[in-house]
Amino acid sequence: MPPFWIVIRQLVEIEEQMATSKKVITREEWEKRLNDVKIRKEDMNKLVMNFLVTEGYVEAAEKFRMESGTEPDIDLATITDRMAVKKAVQCGNVEDAIEKVNDLNPEILDTNPQLFFHLQQQRLIELIRNGKVEEALEFAQEELAPRGEENQSFLEELERTVALLAFEDVSNCPVGELMDISQRLKTASEVNAAILTSQSHEKDPKLPSLLKMLIWAQNQLDEKATYPRINDLSNATLEDPTV
Amino acid sequence: MPSATVNNHRPSELLSRLASSEPEVKLRALREVKNQIIGNRTKKLSFLKLGAVPAVAGILADSADDVIDCNNNNCNVNNNINNILVQSAAALGSFACGFDAGVQAVLDAGAFPNLLRLLSNSNEKVVDAGARALRMIYQSKLAPKYDFLQQKNMEFLISLLNSENENVSGLGASIITNSCETSLEQKALFDAGILRRLNSLLECGSLSQKDASLESLASIFKNNSEVVSKFAGPEIERPLGSIIDLLKDRYPRTRLLACMCLIVIRSTSPNLLQDIGIKSKLIHILIELLDDPGQVGDEAPFAFSSLIAQKEDLQKLALEANAIDKLHHHLQKGSLHPRRYEGILLALADMCSKLESCRSKFLSLQVLNLVTDALTVDSADVRTAACICLKSVTRSIKNLSAGYFINEMVVVPLVQLFLDPSTSVQVAALGAISNVVVDFTTHKCIFVQCGGMKQLVQLATSMESAVRSNALWALKNFVFLADNRLKESVFSELTASLLSSLICDPEPSVQEQALALVRNLVDGCINSVEFMFAEDGLILGAIGRQLQSTVKAEIGIQGMYALCNVASGNEFHKEAVMHQLFPQMVDKNQSFMINFLQSNDSQLRTATVWTIVNLTCRSSPGAFGRLVKLRNAGIVSQIKNMVNDPCVDVKVIKFMFWSFFFIFFFTFLINLISIFVEQLRVRTVLGQSMAFGDN
Repeated sequence: MPPFWIVIRQLVEIEEQMATSKKVITREEWEKRLNDVKIRKEDMNKLVMNFLVTEGYVEAAEKFRMESGTEPDIDLATITDRMAVKKAVQCGNVEDAIEKVNDLNPEILDTNPQLFFHLQQQRLIELIRNGKVEEALEFAQEELAPRGEENQSFLEELERTVALLAFEDVSNCPVGELMDISQRLKTASEVNAAILTSQSHEKDPKLPSLLKMLIWAQNQLDEKATYPRINDLSNATLEDPTV
Repeated sequence: MPSATVNNHRPSELLSRLASSEPEVKLRALREVKNQIIGNRTKKLSFLKLGAVPAVAGILADSADDVIDCNNNNCNVNNNINNILVQSAAALGSFACGFDAGVQAVLDAGAFPNLLRLLSNSNEKVVDAGARALRMIYQSKLAPKYDFLQQKNMEFLISLLNSENENVSGLGASIITNSCETSLEQKALFDAGILRRLNSLLECGSLSQKDASLESLASIFKNNSEVVSKFAGPEIERPLGSIIDLLKDRYPRTRLLACMCLIVIRSTSPNLLQDIGIKSKLIHILIELLDDPGQVGDEAPFAFSSLIAQKEDLQKLALEANAIDKLHHHLQKGSLHPRRYEGILLALADMCSKLESCRSKFLSLQVLNLVTDALTVDSADVRTAACICLKSVTRSIKNLSAGYFINEMVVVPLVQLFLDPSTSVQVAALGAISNVVVDFTTHKCIFVQCGGMKQLVQLATSMESAVRSNALWALKNFVFLADNRLKESVFSELTASLLSSLICDPEPSVQEQALALVRNLVDGCINSVEFMFAEDGLILGAIGRQLQSTVKAEIGIQGMYALCNVASGNEFHKEAVMHQLFPQMVDKNQSFMINFLQSNDSQLRTATVWTIVNLTCRSSPGAFGRLVKLRNAGIVSQIKNMVNDPCVDVKVIKFMFWSFFFIFFFTFLINLISIFVEQLRVRTVLGQSMAFGDN
């Protein structure tokens, strides 16, 4: 029945057209729509404060508090303490960092065996870095070996760390990454996260996840429309839509 | 060379500095003790052994007194004292953190009341340290029990919970979690309005406050449906909403505690939280929490077990959510923390406890190999859990009959665990073997060859009643439907005297299993009945005595079935049973048979009826005499009352009546015939005499 086939073909063509032709939104249209979105100033300020607090920029947070009147959701003094701990680990003063954490809240290391082990491991690494072989061995035996007995995965990590002692050139050995500065940063961020958690605070600032959501939403939208996209996140410039 | 500073850190040296009269030296020593023991169990123990706890507690006591003495005097002095208070409280708190020996030492040193005094200190840091230390103590079972029923205690608790300081309010919650046990205490806490406060902490408290109130809510709800229904009552807009919301919390520990709290509510009030949505949500969250590398992941499988235990619907849902695959996956990873290892095995045990579909999944994934590996690990708890898991999986009749479990891989390590130093492992291993030895006629020799049978007999004489009872259980299953040769070897190993003494064991569970073993031993061919008559019928006498005196239905059931099997033998055997049922010196009391027939336990009634059936079986010549005895004891009329008993099979009763009828009828017939024969003889004699007379 020819008329029937004609109808079907027409329908299919319309469908195809709809699928291929994306909606185009011009810059003016887009900006007009953006202008209609209202975001409260206080919310923006809170977002900034959250970033400063979580990342530990205490002076900036203090200034921002005075200028914008935004109250941080945490005692700013604790940020100073937290940053001092973080910095101590980053500089390799692990023992100092442990004492500071314990002053801040003795529960953190008492209830977090993994973090405690990693700090002790970092201490061992620093002893090896400073060439204190005998002290390192004694420390590994007295402080770390009992932790290895309690936990198999600790034992494996301990073995890897002690292996450092077997090499002449530690930075070029199979376990050399332990000596790297990134290991310190890893441990430091672990302590930082644990302190934040103990203060009922998120481990990560909200701003990065907001940006992630922006990118995700743009990717979703790309399938349906052409619009002024933000590619340069740091300047948030709108690109002209490519038709 | 070890440096001098390391020596300076030695515990003994530190301890002597604690005793210094210089406040500065003392403070530094305190701080160092604290820093050495935090997170370090071995250090805690070595300081404990050196007597550090009484030393620190002494410093705390002295300084707490000093605070009062020099109140408002000298700010500097007080500052120093406060530092000492903070450090000593923190050290004591760390001794008590997750370490029962430490808690005991802190309590023994009399530090508890002094820590309480710190809560009313004007310095926030001192209050904080004191509350934290007390919270650590209240996380242990050794903490002094808090009496909620005293008015002033309840007021103090409310003041703690209302505190702005999160350690103080957390302490309040920990006290509830620790000490709230009875329904009276739960009710008192509810009446005092504590739940409202805990609920508000759930909704807007800090992380630790949320966690603490979830735990204490669970302890107030536990097994108290009245409190739960009031808390989730109609006057609340969204019942349990605050707890359900926390299932989505970003902290794994909070999610776990919310799950645990809801599981308690579910098991307390079976009408709450029954929709499929919440069930599968709980399952999914708990499975996901297994991935947590820390303590939460260790505890998650235990919570999962408590959710699905005994609940087929949840086990089915969990199977659909691939729970067995996930648990298997974690087990495969190896090098597990013992607590997590144990939890995963127990979760698998609960998954496989009821549904054959779960067991097939378990076997198809070859999880069995990993579980048998766990039988030989260091931790006793893990070995126990592995046995419990095996026990659960070996309930699969299909695979048992296929002989899937009776191989060296399973049997040999299990038998080795019979001699495990830990009683709980022994008991669990016996439990598992009890299932494994059931119903496999061809492979039983493996068990005998590896010495399993002899060991079971030895364990039947263990000092631990649980071991005795489980060993008998395993033997019972071992001789179930076994051939006579095997039974003979078991019996000669056991001996009549041991068996009869086990029947009279002080522990009822042992008595029950011993009687059940006799029941299975005697079951089957007539030769096995002869076991009962070894050593002048020692065993039979023991059964009779036990039946006379017992008040427990379980023991009655097994004893009656044992006698029932004996009564299936020949005339001599039946009479011997009668002798036990109706001893010569009958006192005025009615026969225990009547009590059994009137028992609430349908199994006991059935067992007794079957024994009577075997005794009065119409093919045996002595049946009539026994029937008369039974009638005289009032048992026949008791059975007549049981025609409408819904639990005892009507066919059995009808069959028995036919037996009775036949016996009476034939006896009547025989009497008739004998009268007729007598008359005939008389007539013949008369006829003869007449004939003689005629002659």
